[in-house]
Amino acid sequence: MNESWHAAGPAVAARAVTKTYGNGVRAVRGVDLTVPPGEIRAVVGENGAGKSTLMKMFYGLEQPSSGEILIGGRPRTLRGPAAAIALGVGMVHQNLMLVPSFTVAQNVVLGVEPGRRGLVDARAAVEITARLAEEAGLAVDPKARIDEVSVGMRQRTEILKALHRRAKVLILDEPTAVLTPQETEDLFAAVRRLRDGGMTVLFISHKLREVREISDQVSVMRAGSLVGTVPTADATERSLAAMMVGRDLSLDVDRAAARRGEVTLRVRKLGYEAPTGQSLHRLSFDVAAGEIVGVAGIEGNGQSELAEILAGLRSPTAGTIHVGGTDTAGLGVAGHRRAGVGYVPEDRLHNGAALDESIADNLVVDRHDRPPLARRGVLHPKAVRAHAERLIDQYAIRTPDPSVPMRALSGGNVQKVIVARELSAGPRLLIASQVTRGVDIGAMRFMYERLVAARDDGAAVLLISADLTELLALSDRLLVLKEGLLVGRFDDTAGLTEKHVGLYMLGVEHHDDKHLTAGLAAGEEPTP
Amino acid sequence: MSSVFDVVFSSAFLAAALRVATPYLLAAFGGLVAERAGISNIALEGQMLAAACTGALVAGYSGSVALGALSGIAVATLLGLLLAALRLELGADAIIAGIGLNLLASGATAYAVYTLLDDKGGTSGLDSGTLPTVPLPGIESIPVLGDVLSGQNLITWLAFLTAPFVAWLFYRTTFGFHLRAVGEMPDAAASVGIPVRRVQYAGLALSGALAGLAGVFLSMGYVSFFVRDMTAGRGFIALAAVFLGGLRPWGVFLAALGFGAAEALAVQLGTLDVPPQLVSTIPYAMTLVALALYAWRRKRRGVGEATPASL
Amino acid sequence: MTSTLIETEDRREYRATRRRGLAVDLSMTLATVLAALAVGFLVILATGKDPVAAYEALLTGPLERSFRVGRWLEDATTLTLLGLSVAIPFRARQISLGAESQLYAGALAAATVAIFLPLPPVAAVVVPLVAAAAAGAGMGFVPGSMKARLGANEIVATLMLNAIVVRVYDYLVNGPLKEPGSSAVHSERVQQDSVLTPLTDWFGIPLGRSNVGLFLMLLTAVALWLLITRTPLGYRIRMTGANSDFAEYGGIRVPRAIEWSFVIGGAVAGLAGAHLVQGVYGRLEPGMAGSLAFEGIVVALLARNNPLVVVIAGLFYSYLRAGGDIMEQQTDVGTEIVVVIQAVIVLLVTAQALPDLLKRRIARKQAAQKQVGAR
Repeated sequence: MNESWHAAGPAVAARAVTKTYGNGVRAVRGVDLTVPPGEIRAVVGENGAGKSTLMKMFYGLEQPSSGEILIGGRPRTLRGPAAAIALGVGMVHQNLMLVPSFTVAQNVVLGVEPGRRGLVDARAAVEITARLAEEAGLAVDPKARIDEVSVGMRQRTEILKALHRRAKVLILDEPTAVLTPQETEDLFAAVRRLRDGGMTVLFISHKLREVREISDQVSVMRAGSLVGTVPTADATERSLAAMMVGRDLSLDVDRAAARRGEVTLRVRKLGYEAPTGQSLHRLSFDVAAGEIVGVAGIEGNGQSELAEILAGLRSPTAGTIHVGGTDTAGLGVAGHRRAGVGYVPEDRLHNGAALDESIADNLVVDRHDRPPLARRGVLHPKAVRAHAERLIDQYAIRTPDPSVPMRALSGGNVQKVIVARELSAGPRLLIASQVTRGVDIGAMRFMYERLVAARDDGAAVLLISADLTELLALSDRLLVLKEGLLVGRFDDTAGLTEKHVGLYMLGVEHHDDKHLTAGLAAGEEPTP
Repeated sequence: MSSVFDVVFSSAFLAAALRVATPYLLAAFGGLVAERAGISNIALEGQMLAAACTGALVAGYSGSVALGALSGIAVATLLGLLLAALRLELGADAIIAGIGLNLLASGATAYAVYTLLDDKGGTSGLDSGTLPTVPLPGIESIPVLGDVLSGQNLITWLAFLTAPFVAWLFYRTTFGFHLRAVGEMPDAAASVGIPVRRVQYAGLALSGALAGLAGVFLSMGYVSFFVRDMTAGRGFIALAAVFLGGLRPWGVFLAALGFGAAEALAVQLGTLDVPPQLVSTIPYAMTLVALALYAWRRKRRGVGEATPASL
Repeated sequence: MTSTLIETEDRREYRATRRRGLAVDLSMTLATVLAALAVGFLVILATGKDPVAAYEALLTGPLERSFRVGRWLEDATTLTLLGLSVAIPFRARQISLGAESQLYAGALAAATVAIFLPLPPVAAVVVPLVAAAAAGAGMGFVPGSMKARLGANEIVATLMLNAIVVRVYDYLVNGPLKEPGSSAVHSERVQQDSVLTPLTDWFGIPLGRSNVGLFLMLLTAVALWLLITRTPLGYRIRMTGANSDFAEYGGIRVPRAIEWSFVIGGAVAGLAGAHLVQGVYGRLEPGMAGSLAFEGIVVALLARNNPLVVVIAGLFYSYLRAGGDIMEQQTDVGTEIVVVIQAVIVLLVTAQALPDLLKRRIARKQAAQKQVGAR
């Protein structure tokens, strides 16, 4: 069906496309976008700007509520991915769409298997994969099982999948989020090679540096609309950022200088051997009462593991952790909470809330078994309700009633419930992981104010974020993680630039051990 | 003790083991196909029962054993499709819908038999006949082997061929390839344009058909009548064999064969001084222990190997 | 600021929405039952019988004579206890199918104590009950801890335990516990002091084998409702069922909550066994639970695992069972049709998308009407 491409027309285009979901949310509003063949087009925007929804419409996973999708210069109705694939569109999803127990080769050919009369020719699948990998410069082991290869190889497998389907348009949805810098470089080289061979590439990202490096033109989306398209050569990170957020990028958060108190969190030579994911090696740092310490790093460099260890959800395999004098390394979650640890988890839908239960019940998970909510083994629903009413009021949670199930709330409001629960416990140490991910600007500002207020009340705050701007705006001190190692430590964040921190995140620069451990009391060292 | 060995190595026992294992094998493969397609088929029991009843009734009234068997299989296939529809179209929980279908089969078969034959117990008043056995000229006369292999029912042979068939289907054919992808990672399958629901419907139809074949064997294999609730929990045991076999064709084959052999042994030992009820608990106790060991090992390894989400 | 529909409602509006939702749920449940009865009606009609006479017997029969009422209540007591026993693990999202093994374990424990252990009057009733609950709880603990600590599939574990316990029970009733010198297969009678007082003695009218176990059942239901809604353990069980990752993150020891849900459910199923031994049969009978254990699951489902609603569902379900027997005696329609009706109820209840589908269709129709009105 690729023959039906109109030679002179755009490779992909949207004309006045609008997408309104069943629940009334309008994700995409009247977007006009034209991408000529053989171009790498970056589409940037904040979380929730509508980038992914627009791409899903190009790939047939969503259908526009109004407007037209054009593939190969002609208007198309894409009823599903099969239709888009047939027209030469391939997509690499943010969460990779691979079958874990299948080999790389099997995943590449899945859906378009070589062989005759309903049989799969396994050898041909391996040969095809090897040949495609060779041509595109994407190194993979065709016979390895997907669940046993690196994330980078999984992503290359995804691209090979699209190539095997003779894609002329390749959509990459936030492809670098999970990659190491080296893998990112390799990916970019491969993408350029594909472009030179005539491929049209749509590159979705919110990392402006990468966008400037890889794309020919940049289209910026904001709140569902297309704000504009500029040649990459004419764009600066600052000008793009201004278009993306529609406000001055500097997130001025009102905060006085930190008044550091006693050391609250003391981590020494922390090690973690991960069965899956990132291991941690010999981490040593302090967080004092009354300061916010940011943790920067490209996602997947050990931040999630560190947060879960400090919250008690995983056990470290080496080293010591003390929270306010309590040795927490061997304690469970409840023990950590007793020691005064609060945790805003990075994925609120996964473990931050029970969506089908009420707001009131969600607010008491850590304190349901003690006064004033429970006395002598009896839980008092009235007390639970009153507790919820109070927090709903204090944290401006928008709901008509505490009995509303969490599922009915918007993302920002769910996050407010979680933050309300964790802060109202009066934590000595608060671990805040991706607090503003996927929330709107109003809620974002609210979170910032609360974090600073908690700090000023004497909490030690460990702030983990993928958003460097946010980290620089909020942190009193900053640590940088790379591949499970501490590689940077900035005791003064004033005047620190994203660019400078980026060098540490990417491994171009690193601090030496002496600088990293300067001033850390040695008293809690484990005896060897 | 020697008497136990005498029993185990007698040709009568071995022949009985193959016979008794037949419904377990077929139903277990039915369960396996559904499980790998991502929908647990706990309705195996009901599908067997419905097929057994339909087979005996149709054969009895039409006089055609083949027609009876085919109708039985068809009814079980429809029940498989119904389970898929309840799950996929109406968002039902597969386990609960399966329990509902089992109830439906139990009530409907008993009601049908009572209404048609005015008999609470079964269709023994109806002459429905049995499916043919397969004599093996030549092998027949070999001492032990002949007694064991020759004269087994046609369906027993089919049951033993099911293992290589399912293995071939899973690992060699496009359909099996898609089925496994759909069961393990439906989003991934959908994103490459595989019609996920259609594959699941096909899988559940095949699952039902295999359970149906097992049911038909019960009422038309060695006996020629249907007895109320004659499946007696075999569907559930088959399901246990699916898990015990690690969701792999040959593992399931061994597990189901083991259940059959143990049951045959219990019957044969009934002639000795051992309480048959206690002997017959052995395979279930073994499954329980195996289940615990398997889970323990998986837990120690830290990560579960890729298995369908329904586990 | 983006927000959802509910967030923008005010409190009064929200309460109205909730009342409407409740009304829809209630009418859906009623509609489900009516639809299932209609299916049964059509099946009877299709098989050439008189559905009106059959339904008259089915629906009014159980109330016509006092001993029939007794038969109904006695059946409802066992069934409701079994429904309660699975409702608790279901709340922790554990699909326990083990009520059968727990019931037989409870029956064996109750019978052993009540037959062989001489006890003073009140203790003679209470001790066997406690023994039964303990035995059932132990039988629940096995699959519970296998699931909680090892992650072993609870469906398979409970089914295997059922298979084992049913056979052991069969062996014991046929062997060691068989009444000496009797030709019938059953155990000796329990001591007179251990018998749960028949309701006939209380009310002075013949109420069959129904007994004070009925009140025990009602007490159990209320206790379980309080447990789920008013205790920290109940909260932990609910949160574990709602999202176990969330529960763990909140400091709840999820394996413990899962284990407790199995143990509590097992104890209740054990009581059901004691009710059969001390109240209904007065001894161990072979296969005395029949298919009740599986039907308990249906009752729990129908009641959406709310202990108080389980009582209503159990009473309703048993009413159909009792009515079915009367229907068979009085007409030529087999009692099995009741099982078909029950199956249809289960299938309709589990078809969760069905009410949403209907709601959406209603909403669409209303929207269409509005548009027409606007023109």
